[in-house]
Amino acid sequence: MIRHLLVLSTAAALFAAAACSKPAAAPAAPAHPNLSGSWVRPLGDREVGGLPPVNEIPLTPWAAAKFKAERPAAGENQDFANTTDPSLRYADPNGYPRISLHPMRFKLVQTDDYVYQLWEYNQNWRQIALNVPPDPDPAITWYGNAVGKWEGDTLVVDSVGYKDSTWLDARGLPHTQDLHLVERIHRAGENLAFDITFEDPGAFTKPWAAHLIFKPSPEGSMTENIYTISDELRFRERFLQQKVTIPIRR
Amino acid sequence: MRSSMSCVVAGTVAALLVCTSALAHHGAASIYDMTKETTIKATVTEYVWTNPHTELGISLSGGTKTELLLELGSPPNIRNRGWTSRTVKAGDAVTVTFHPGLRGAKIGVVIKLVTADGKELHA
Repeated sequence: MIRHLLVLSTAAALFAAAACSKPAAAPAAPAHPNLSGSWVRPLGDREVGGLPPVNEIPLTPWAAAKFKAERPAAGENQDFANTTDPSLRYADPNGYPRISLHPMRFKLVQTDDYVYQLWEYNQNWRQIALNVPPDPDPAITWYGNAVGKWEGDTLVVDSVGYKDSTWLDARGLPHTQDLHLVERIHRAGENLAFDITFEDPGAFTKPWAAHLIFKPSPEGSMTENIYTISDELRFRERFLQQKVTIPIRR
Repeated sequence: MRSSMSCVVAGTVAALLVCTSALAHHGAASIYDMTKETTIKATVTEYVWTNPHTELGISLSGGTKTELLLELGSPPNIRNRGWTSRTVKAGDAVTVTFHPGLRGAKIGVVIKLVTADGKELHA
């Protein structure tokens, strides 16, 4: 009898609880599109865009003279043997956005507080802090100081604090430490688009823009591709018969 | 006729891929004769999976000494085209097509390699 009463009271309590509770809410839709994934600008793909021709970039006289004096390793005025490209001569980090112009992958990892961009090339990375004000006194670094916020489906990234020894691309496009980039990153169909505005009063007479497209990489895992000064000098010794004047790993 | 045209087209595409790949690091035209293609049977003497470009040493006489040093793309780029760090090893017989070095330099940039078991890989 007691057992019977217990069962009845338990059932009544469960019924009452069920009657009082609201129906389970459906999962909330994500507030922003998910940009995470592996992205690449495939070799030879004409759809992926790039920085404009140099004659369409409004260089200041200083920048024009600096560009003319550089000796890139590839392209129109190439001089691989005697290049002034800091990424080859000193194995310096590429800086931004040059590193994204490689035909190698990067991963975008999106969290609530940060977006991380992880490049296959040299295992370099940058972080974009979300919903925080720009640092009023940013350190000068290879990959700058970036903050971002969402405007609808677009992640708007504002960055400053770039070391001026890097080139903006492999052609030798210069900039100063006052470089200011505004990037609008968004989905474009299955692709990822970066619309980048370049401002730098020392290097450009007015702002200019570039449009880069990245395609989903079918291969998610990234290959180690760390490039050192020993690698570069060894290549030069073996392929160009250039004399190596510092100790290197062989 | 059709097949020879296909070969020309395929060769052009392959050359463009190699050019683009090589240009990622250096101006290939300053080191190699990009208008010329050479195909030879050779023995692998070394295969180094490294930056800035993977290296392939070959011997034309079947020996163990590198007589011709060839480069491929960077590891991530050639991995996308089916290469691994163990695709070939010293002693393997291969047929390799490459742009030869300028001014008689004993170097080259690989366009295509066919392994002893017939596997064809583009660099």
